[in-house]
Amino acid sequence: MTTNQRKILAAIGVVLFFALPELGLGTYWLGVLNQVGIYAVLALSLNIILGHAGMFHMGHAAFFAVGAYATAILNTHYGVPIFATIPVAGFAAGLFALAVAAPIIHLRGDYLLMVTIGIVEIVRIALINDIFGLTGGANGIVGIQRPMLFGLRLTKPWQFFYLIWGFVAVSMFLFRWLEHSRFGRALKFIREDVVAAEGMGINTSRCKLSAFVIGAVWAGFTGTIFATQMRTISPGSFSYWESVVLFMIVILGGRGSQRGVLIGSFLVIGLPELFRGLQSGRMLIFGAALVVMMIFRPQGLFPAPRRHYNLPEPYRDKYL
Amino acid sequence: MILLSISSLTKSFGGLVAVGGVSFEVTQGDVLGLIGPNGAGKTTVFNLVTGITPPDSGDIFFAQRRLARLKPHKVVELGLARTFQTIRLFPHMSVLENVLSGRHCRMRTGIVASMLSLPGKALEERNAIARAMEELEFVGLADRWRAPAGGLSYGDQRLLEIARALATDPRMVVLDEPAGGMNDQETVELRSLIRRIKKRGITIMLIEHDMGFVMRVCNKLVVLENGLVIARGTPEEIQKDQRVIEAYLGVDD
Repeated sequence: MTTNQRKILAAIGVVLFFALPELGLGTYWLGVLNQVGIYAVLALSLNIILGHAGMFHMGHAAFFAVGAYATAILNTHYGVPIFATIPVAGFAAGLFALAVAAPIIHLRGDYLLMVTIGIVEIVRIALINDIFGLTGGANGIVGIQRPMLFGLRLTKPWQFFYLIWGFVAVSMFLFRWLEHSRFGRALKFIREDVVAAEGMGINTSRCKLSAFVIGAVWAGFTGTIFATQMRTISPGSFSYWESVVLFMIVILGGRGSQRGVLIGSFLVIGLPELFRGLQSGRMLIFGAALVVMMIFRPQGLFPAPRRHYNLPEPYRDKYL
Repeated sequence: MILLSISSLTKSFGGLVAVGGVSFEVTQGDVLGLIGPNGAGKTTVFNLVTGITPPDSGDIFFAQRRLARLKPHKVVELGLARTFQTIRLFPHMSVLENVLSGRHCRMRTGIVASMLSLPGKALEERNAIARAMEELEFVGLADRWRAPAGGLSYGDQRLLEIARALATDPRMVVLDEPAGGMNDQETVELRSLIRRIKKRGITIMLIEHDMGFVMRVCNKLVVLENGLVIARGTPEEIQKDQRVIEAYLGVDD
């Protein structure tokens, strides 16, 4: 298949996917797809930290929680419209990431992993304990409004389908552009060899911290969408397990690969829904499949392709 | 003009004194060789100068700026770039991308501008790629620009490290055993490459064990033994220096 044919096929796939609600996909499956979409954005944002920069971050649900709670608190306590809370949710999550990541950013591999697990647990426990009297304790926050868009209140699953997957699409474009920039390249240098990267003039701690903050800001945005879609949020939605699932999606799909992470979201979140008939047996099969995968394809299902560069003249003619 | 000045530099690891009060200067335009037996502290001096390890005491000035305790990326920004003794390329990335790493500190596009692909980004990228290709042509690796760096021969990997260092717009480069692992033919080519780097007005400091190589390319030598400078001078002076001969060949009891 040529690149062009592949592009046309992909375009048809995307159009068909976005036409799914029109093609009469039921409410239940739309709900599943919406859930896949939420996880996809979260995993794509984690991919910047874990996939590109290679930092073992297993606490992404903490930033998701900060965003969701920022929206829930602003909306239910202060009546701020949902869409107006998006920047605040992103900012709060980013600021929180900056504060917790700055002292740990130099940690490597397994050490960073342990600390980030600690962060997500601290956030969950803080939420349960109703910090500042705003988070509603273990019951969480109820009665979050549905968003208004152009005078229309979004309530139906198909409406959320377009909201969520539109956000996935926009995020993918922005992240791709970010990846194909000086900053994105710097993250890959850091993943390959942090000492060499620093030795070549890259401010590695700042780049790592920036990656963390961007990932967190996006998780915060996603928190807004999640809160307004669910209308009720509680600490249980932001557990350590959610962070593990996101981590798994990135590793299983292929670190640093957008396509891989997207397909990973479908497999990890969507596939178990297909096998609901097997009840709890499906998790056993799923777990076994993961183990086999990691043995035979440790680089993930769809490893990131090497980036293609266009040479400027006069080099293009000379070296192609 | 003195470009790099090192004074009373010391560094110990645990109880071991790696560098015990080293002072010397590098003048603009020099090709200075830092030589000495294994374990003399040569690479430690390089790591101190480039900010990889902070010194215990002493001072380093580069172009009137204090380097001691600056982070490595700051040192590169000030115009001092290096290569590594144990080759440290980004092995899974392309030859071109490796050289682009050197351009990073001279590029300005920020994160938001990158994400939104604002107008300046594409132009800056194109200029960086052109400049990287220029450096690859300079070291003779341009036709390999797409290959993963880890797939190059040992000698070519050393050349790629040099191209990467040159891409940072350095005033001075420090090369840690540039001829290490090269065959005779490659070593001859490296000699001419170093002369061409010098012609560009870039000052060079290098560590090398191949004495024939050092005597031919360097105009000044500093000899280290057990973390101390035991001699300095032109290659002719060093070859006649009694202490240097003893350090390398040992003394009869």
